[in-house]
Amino acid sequence: MTRHTEDDDAGDANGANDRSGDREGGRENPGRGGCGCGEPAPGVPQAGRDEQPSVFVTDGGDVPEADVTDDRDAARTGGESTADRAATDGGVESASGGTESATGGTDSAELDPEAYDPVDVFPGGDLDLREGADSCYKCTSCDTSCPVAEVDDEFPGPKFQGPEQWRLKRKEDHDIDESITSCSNCMRCDDACPSSVPLSQMHNEARGQYVERQMEKLSVEYIRNRILANYRTSASLASMFPRTASFAMNFGPARWAMEKVMGIPKERDFPEFATETFREWWKARGGANVENSDKRVAYFHGCYSNYNTPEVGKALVSVYEHFGYEVMVPPQKCSGTPMFANGMLKDARRHAETNVENLVEAIGEGADVIASCTSCSLSLRQEYPELFDLHGIEDLAEHTFEALEYLRIHENLEGELDAAGGLDDERAFAYHAPCHARNQGLSRQAVETFRDVDGVRMEDVGDSCSGISGTYGWKEEKYEKSMEIGAEMFEHMEDAEGEVGMTECPTCAMQMEHGTGYEIEHPLQLLEEALDA
Amino acid sequence: MDRQVDVVVVGGGSTGCGVVRDLARRGLDTVLVEKGNLTHGTTGRMHGLLHSGGRYAVSDQKSAKECIEENMVLRDIAAHCVEETGGLFVKRPEDSEEYFQEKLEGCKACDIPVEVIDGEEARRREPYLARDVEKAIALPDGAVDPFRLCVSNAADAREHGARIETHAPVTDVLVEDGEVVGVEIEHETGPGKRVHHEPGTTEEIRARHVVNATGAWAGNVGGMAGVDVEVRPSKGVMTVMNTRQVDTVINRCRPKGDADIIVPHETACILGTTDEEVDDPEDYPEEDWEVDLMIETLSELVPALEDARTLRSFWGVRPLYEPPGTGTEDPTDITRDYFLLDHGDRDDLPGMTTIVGGKLTTYRMMAESISDHVCEALGYEATCDTADAPLPGSESEARMAELMDEFGLRSPVARRSGQRLGSRADDVLDEYDPNPIVCNCESVTRAEVQDAIGEAGSDLNAVRLRTRASMGNCQGGFCTHRIAAELAEEYPEPVVRDAEDELYQERWKGQRHALWGEQLSQAMLNHLLHATTMNRDGDPASLDGEVDFGAFDAGPESPDAADTDESGSAGTAAADGGRADDDAATDGGR
Repeated sequence: MTRHTEDDDAGDANGANDRSGDREGGRENPGRGGCGCGEPAPGVPQAGRDEQPSVFVTDGGDVPEADVTDDRDAARTGGESTADRAATDGGVESASGGTESATGGTDSAELDPEAYDPVDVFPGGDLDLREGADSCYKCTSCDTSCPVAEVDDEFPGPKFQGPEQWRLKRKEDHDIDESITSCSNCMRCDDACPSSVPLSQMHNEARGQYVERQMEKLSVEYIRNRILANYRTSASLASMFPRTASFAMNFGPARWAMEKVMGIPKERDFPEFATETFREWWKARGGANVENSDKRVAYFHGCYSNYNTPEVGKALVSVYEHFGYEVMVPPQKCSGTPMFANGMLKDARRHAETNVENLVEAIGEGADVIASCTSCSLSLRQEYPELFDLHGIEDLAEHTFEALEYLRIHENLEGELDAAGGLDDERAFAYHAPCHARNQGLSRQAVETFRDVDGVRMEDVGDSCSGISGTYGWKEEKYEKSMEIGAEMFEHMEDAEGEVGMTECPTCAMQMEHGTGYEIEHPLQLLEEALDA
Repeated sequence: MDRQVDVVVVGGGSTGCGVVRDLARRGLDTVLVEKGNLTHGTTGRMHGLLHSGGRYAVSDQKSAKECIEENMVLRDIAAHCVEETGGLFVKRPEDSEEYFQEKLEGCKACDIPVEVIDGEEARRREPYLARDVEKAIALPDGAVDPFRLCVSNAADAREHGARIETHAPVTDVLVEDGEVVGVEIEHETGPGKRVHHEPGTTEEIRARHVVNATGAWAGNVGGMAGVDVEVRPSKGVMTVMNTRQVDTVINRCRPKGDADIIVPHETACILGTTDEEVDDPEDYPEEDWEVDLMIETLSELVPALEDARTLRSFWGVRPLYEPPGTGTEDPTDITRDYFLLDHGDRDDLPGMTTIVGGKLTTYRMMAESISDHVCEALGYEATCDTADAPLPGSESEARMAELMDEFGLRSPVARRSGQRLGSRADDVLDEYDPNPIVCNCESVTRAEVQDAIGEAGSDLNAVRLRTRASMGNCQGGFCTHRIAAELAEEYPEPVVRDAEDELYQERWKGQRHALWGEQLSQAMLNHLLHATTMNRDGDPASLDGEVDFGAFDAGPESPDAADTDESGSAGTAAADGGRADDDAATDGGR
């Protein structure tokens, strides 16, 4: 699958990417393993295999030697010829591309006609997702599960945004309905669809096309969205002077001005910036305390754990080291979640290049990738392979896990928690499962993990959406709706016994705090406490 | 019934509609009679190709030249019916290079603008083309909506004083003193629009000339007048894909053969076709192998078709004709040219002309030539302006951006409405506020449906042809009842009910040939929804006998019985509307 490129004149010899392979790897097979378990896609070097052949070939075992060599060669040539295009993908045909084929090869005589591979792109590198409409039966489960459609009568719902709008498209049609900007990208529709329509992929692509082509680039809305989407940039600036920033960002007159000028609702409190970021702490600590080449994880902390809640990252490190893991913290940028939600696909791709490169390298060193934020893990697992065709992106998707999920798969958490004997003082929590956790099948993991732990009482506050959906609730025109969506969760939190909220998602946490005034913790913090790690 | 008009045109396909428009614009008093709705016959069952002439450039250069000429005319006068997709004749490795060159030369000889592109360029334009396609000839094929085209012709004719009578089969051709003097028609009881007469009555329409434009049925009408018209009807299958795999018309560049064309049509792709002579244009087998052949063979050009969703298949019957004594064996070798049969000269029966053969792309030219002939026969002088006068809807471009703002339509909806309605969009959309979407798949709004009802009456299939409502991937499962509800204000309940059933049946008819994979799931979902919410599996109101309410169970008896097996089965019976084992009476024994 060919994805968004930084520049339109990409297009190299690595284009013969096997599409069916992408699919299986990307969406339907998020489980562990994957290295070497499938045939290598023709012409596309598998991540790790080409870069770290010693690790992956031995693991896979069944990879024919010839293929490995070919892959390595291909990688080398690909790398050289596209050096300044930094790991762009194969096969994106430029509009002005001249003689190279849309399918990526330069000489059809060498192509195996059996290895049929349509490149699903409209001219200019846009994805052609019309065939996704084939799976839709119009059953409308997606619309009934959409939290925005429930409160916003003007929003036509995911079925329209996805399969209907795509099916009505023609090659030369580029206008996307403006209502796509009202989708909060909670992705509940993906989960609701009984027929695997790639709804969020359709939405992301349509939103990207809308923002790229139809949105006024000097408009306040665009600039505001760009700033919101690039939270990492603002956060990294702010954490240079964390105390000043925390004060200034929430200073009354400043907030009034922000709402008037930028459309950022004054009701919301900006999160405080940590005086020491997670990475600063990690560096000062001297990195990992455990070295273990058999059990390695690469931690994708994301922006929020780094700049705002380093305690979550620290909890993760202590829990994982408790279980004997060597924690790596590779260089990384934003996972792209807020950028997808705002149609800033080029920004997301730029960040993804860094992330994929560094995380794939870590995978090559034997690590699996873990994230403490469920949106980050979903992005690496699902949105990355759906939207971009970066070298190694499928391998990354297969090797990425949410942090608690990973421990539940590989460790005897229950036993350890039992042995640790529970909490000394009883605590009660109101737990909210983020929509993006739901999409990864993780909505019950915190409740299940802690239900038998002495001294912990955890209540699930239901399956509604918190309403903030990342940046959605940070827009002045969406604020009311965001709170309306969240009302059910607030009410259930108030009813729950616990006075402390719990969730994996940082923006859900903001909304929970905003709506109830509760302190919000991350399950890893509780796990650290319960394990005495 | 002694009113005499100048001309009666029999047959509401493209030819008939073209003729009635032409004659009406020349000032003749004209009536069009059609036994079903417009495009009921062959016109409504074609693949929607606007020929560039490329297909005939080797075998039939006269037709090819006519095609390219008329192709250009239709882009002007029927802009809202035409999508300028462009076309490709693609060559696979096993296809003959010689023929490719012949085709190229043929096109040039017929003044068809061509461009030869290599396989890479062809795939750049159409990424889903097979990777071993070697090269292609690009030429100005296009897609045309035959329904919209016919309806626009008929509408223009009506504006010029013609009478359009649908659902009115000809029951006799009136011959007096060795001369055709008119036709007798019957006004059917179907839910069609009956402008002038009560259902079930017959009417004689006397005319100075009768034009038999009934295509594959020309022999039947000829027979009523006592003349032989040896039409050789030949069936062809067309398979509709759910989405557009290609946005360009794709032709296989080889001499002849089945399954060699893919036409992007509105939201779908239509695969065609076969060519097999049949005895009766109304009754011929629709065979599964024909559908399989379409998908298998055309997958060689566009491999994605193999796994893509198929919506339905339909068959059309070509009105092929060849002069008596030609004796061509293979129907694919019969000329696609048209023939004008003056029965005065031919059979010594003046007053009637039959037109057979031909193709939709050249319908206007055929209409002009037959209108010239009729005028000559009637001694009437007038010039033809149909090549220059735009059809209603194509007077100007629809203003897409303004439609969105003015009528609050979402952009794909505005785009589709604009494309369907052309310059009429403003007037039509202005009628309704609020204007909800009635058919989601094809983005058809209430205003458009109501406009079509205004023109077509309670015949929902005619409404479908005008609007495309119910032609999307749910095939009416989610909208037949909504469309029918739009009739309810004006028509009595039984008419609405019949119209709804008729539309739902029609949608089902084509889906029968697509019952695998996704469309099978869709059909089952549709059936369950309609069965459980509208009793379509046994609507008591549609039954002849009384409903045996005693056959329904009384529901769960008491909490005590909840543990027993009996209560379990009682619950099940209630859930499916009382159709447990032995109560066939409740569904009328169907």
